[in-house]
Amino acid sequence: MQINVKIKRYNPEADARPYWAEYKLEARGSDRVLDVINHLKWEVDGTLAFRRSCAHGICGSDAMLINGVNRLACKVLVKDLGERITIEPIRGLPVLKDLIVDMEPFFDSYKAVLPFFINDDPPPPGERYQSAEDRAVFDETTKCILCAACTTSCPVFWTNGRYLGPAAIVNAHRFIFDSRDQGAAERLGVLNQANGLWRCRTAYNCTEACPRDIPITRAIEEVKRALLWRGA
Amino acid sequence: MYRGREGQWAFVLHRMSGVALALFLLLHVIDISLVMWGPDGPFNAFLAFYHQWPFRVGLIVVIAGVVYHALNGLRIIMMDFTEWGVRYQAALWYGVLGLTTLIGIPVLWKIVPEILGIA
Repeated sequence: MQINVKIKRYNPEADARPYWAEYKLEARGSDRVLDVINHLKWEVDGTLAFRRSCAHGICGSDAMLINGVNRLACKVLVKDLGERITIEPIRGLPVLKDLIVDMEPFFDSYKAVLPFFINDDPPPPGERYQSAEDRAVFDETTKCILCAACTTSCPVFWTNGRYLGPAAIVNAHRFIFDSRDQGAAERLGVLNQANGLWRCRTAYNCTEACPRDIPITRAIEEVKRALLWRGA
Repeated sequence: MYRGREGQWAFVLHRMSGVALALFLLLHVIDISLVMWGPDGPFNAFLAFYHQWPFRVGLIVVIAGVVYHALNGLRIIMMDFTEWGVRYQAALWYGVLGLTTLIGIPVLWKIVPEILGIA
């Protein structure tokens, strides 16, 4: 089928502001958007810049705003979008070139919530035992691939780039609810700050954007309740 | 425009109605306080001014804003305190819109004839 692809492009060395570039090309319904932009880059215009790595929905490199919704270019098929495809860089992060944004502010927020196991007890001789029930409490939030589709779909994040954002809260949730971890109070303290957890206005864009189907808003609400009842 | 779904529009409407009501409240406090200058002061003149039809239409919008903001606030409380609220947030939002419309019917019944000058 013939498709029409519109890409918001920007080269800071040549362009005063971003502009829309349009391309007409042949594609199959079973092609992924990543196949389409790979084809554009390899066969049509080598200057088109975007990130991709694994191309199988695991590395989280190719989150883009595709037809008005954040998704991974490697996980969405042309047949599900139709003949007109619009691609923009994800919002709220500075655009470096074309579809590439500066992810540093995103990773700074991620690091701020101490996304690592904290337990000062000496390691037991065997494993640190955790029951299946205790593991299930935070199962969903272990699935995050840090693609930023959630954080950059959040209306609060668009207007306040210092908001930690859903991805950071999801990764805090993963450790706060881990029965073996002892750093919950410290993390809740970070989340209780002005640009932390309470900026969430439950718009659910994050939950709908997540390519890993993490129930993000539910996780954020669980952390809110933890902060409310446990204190920080 | 980001193609968000129910949650995004619930948030946008909640924010817009919240800001509008805050501004309205400010205006309301100012005009009611004019009563301090007595019956011959500016209060009655202002009241007559507000009886013009554009302000009547505005009144419908204000009531819709109050009702929506209150009901969606209850939806937010349910989401904040129960798993159930998060799971059914979209259905709850349609409920909020439905109830706002339902409550709007008697409001329209009262105010529209006043606007048309038949009451």
